[in-house]
Amino acid sequence: MESILRKTAKELLEGKKVDVVVGYTQGSVPLTMSPVFITNPDDAERLVFNALCSQNLAKYVHDVISQNRAAQKRLKPEERKKKVVGVVARGCTTRSLVLNLQEKQYTRDEIFIIGVPCAGYVDQKKLSAAVGGTEILDGSLTGGKVTVKTPAGEKSLVLAELLADNCLVCAYNNPIISDITIGEPAKPMNSANEFKKVEDFAALPLEERWSYFAKEMEKCIRCCACRNICPSCYCPECFAEQSMPQWVGVGADATDTQVFQLMRLFHMAGRCVDCGSCVSVCPMGVDLRMFLKKLDKDALDLFDARTGINEKDLPAFSVFKEREKNEEFLFEP
Amino acid sequence: MKKRLLKKSGIAELVAKLAKRAGVFAPVDNEGNTLFQKVIDANSIAKQYVNSKDAPKGFFFPHSETLMRYKRTDKGMELEDDQVAQTKRILFGVRPCDARSFELLDLLFNQEKYSDTYFVSKRENTTVIVNACVEPISKNCFCTSLGLSPTGSAGADILMLDLGEEIFVEFITPKGEALLDCFGDMEPSATIDVQAVRERAATLVDASVPCREIKTTLDNIYEHPLWESIAQKCLACGTCTYLCPTCHCFDISDEVKGDDGARIRNWDSCMFPLFTKETSGHNPRSTQKARWRQRTMHKFKYFVDNFNEVLCVGCGRCVAYCPVNIDIREVVKSVAKI
Repeated sequence: MESILRKTAKELLEGKKVDVVVGYTQGSVPLTMSPVFITNPDDAERLVFNALCSQNLAKYVHDVISQNRAAQKRLKPEERKKKVVGVVARGCTTRSLVLNLQEKQYTRDEIFIIGVPCAGYVDQKKLSAAVGGTEILDGSLTGGKVTVKTPAGEKSLVLAELLADNCLVCAYNNPIISDITIGEPAKPMNSANEFKKVEDFAALPLEERWSYFAKEMEKCIRCCACRNICPSCYCPECFAEQSMPQWVGVGADATDTQVFQLMRLFHMAGRCVDCGSCVSVCPMGVDLRMFLKKLDKDALDLFDARTGINEKDLPAFSVFKEREKNEEFLFEP
Repeated sequence: MKKRLLKKSGIAELVAKLAKRAGVFAPVDNEGNTLFQKVIDANSIAKQYVNSKDAPKGFFFPHSETLMRYKRTDKGMELEDDQVAQTKRILFGVRPCDARSFELLDLLFNQEKYSDTYFVSKRENTTVIVNACVEPISKNCFCTSLGLSPTGSAGADILMLDLGEEIFVEFITPKGEALLDCFGDMEPSATIDVQAVRERAATLVDASVPCREIKTTLDNIYEHPLWESIAQKCLACGTCTYLCPTCHCFDISDEVKGDDGARIRNWDSCMFPLFTKETSGHNPRSTQKARWRQRTMHKFKYFVDNFNEVLCVGCGRCVAYCPVNIDIREVVKSVAKI
């Protein structure tokens, strides 16, 4: 599949169909892949796609297009040139692209989607736990196995057991939209129990839920990696950085971190594609997904909305459907 | 230099004795993160750790620190110094790279002309007990590239070398010697060859990163396409700088509630878009490219210009935890190739 991916990217760049291809390449740390921007057709050889590619690349698509627009702000409209971004996109990435299109962040002709089937990606925290937290010296991925070399010796792990939680219950692991699709469609994951964890959590007493939230937020160091990788978080200026008025303090007060995360989480209502990127980039292992998934469930239950699964949909909060079950909130807030 | 030999089984007693002298802080496993936390007995200390996730710089230069408080009254402003009497602390099990970072931070915070009392008082009240890396296993560390040693004593008051059954202890400073009695009275015999242990450990660390050699190149590449290429995939999160033992940029802000206010110093990060943003809204480093150049230049050029030292200890945290795998070793190597 990788050879077709590279050939496709090369042709797209040579044919000037795209200005850049955003994809994944081999990282410098064992068992790590890293985002890459290919502009030279010969560099297309560096592209890879496997179960170690974790980030949702839609974030970079938005970055490249908005930076290109900003750079041409002072030009006359007729002199401005569009930049076409090719992107290696799995199911969740295409959902983000769809959301960004729905939210009119860019137009369909500014992106070229190289769709790839996805059987889930490795959660690095599960990988680390599987080797008892020891240092990973080297590793390889073959078939359904991950071979890891640690100071204690070599260990063979089952890939399926290392997949991220969001991947295990993913119902959209094939591209929603694409301009070209590579490889055979992936087999569906087991999405039957998608909301099981959230339902169990929601059934807990209020105090327990709050103490779990507070405990998770205590880990947060406010590096904002979660926000910055998120394709739905594209505000040019985040509320967390506004100073007039200042919405959240920057000090050590635990409530500031809680407020930051709560506000960010609620901005994700009906806008989260459950790509798991915020969780995978978090250096401290904060469980953000529990809360995001609750909002995902609410969007589905209350507004019958699933983020980014249909290009023709409107964003959940910009439509009113008769079958929405919560109209009483208008009268009894 | 005074030396002691400590049986491994004696660690519990040692920690108990130390805890009677001062608050002991050591790496503790906390839900998958190894963090420096207060310990009262040796059992809670992480059994095996490459290094803590958080750099212990926070003990001297906290993430957030109140510098002063003020209150508006009928008679005018009342000011209150927030410097509480510093309690004695012992950092137990610091890695040599991190201990070295304290020396680098001293250069900045404890200068003859400008001395930061908040930092200096905490430094003076803290004893640093280093746990040398006799088996440096991480692929991400590169302390030897900085001319440091995985068993080095820079920044340490006491240095511990794990020899398997026993721990070889060296008392580097008078502050360390003050704790001599906690370590028992067994003096190591002359036959113990720690030099061999040290030499072997040093060979296990990557010494190939030209961290100290790129300064002259950096002098001439303020404008270079390299910066753009590094910054492109950067998320502009603060993981690298927040986990870094040497990054020390800060931002001071006032938090006011009614008549009460506090002046707070917080960590800043050159990776944040808000970094160096001026009141007018102008930012001289308005792009991630400019901020990445700042990060590289600060570590490998500006700090060398100012203090004749490279502002990196090769701990490898930024390498291991960057969510998009921007590898400072690769950055340094790319600069060296120019």
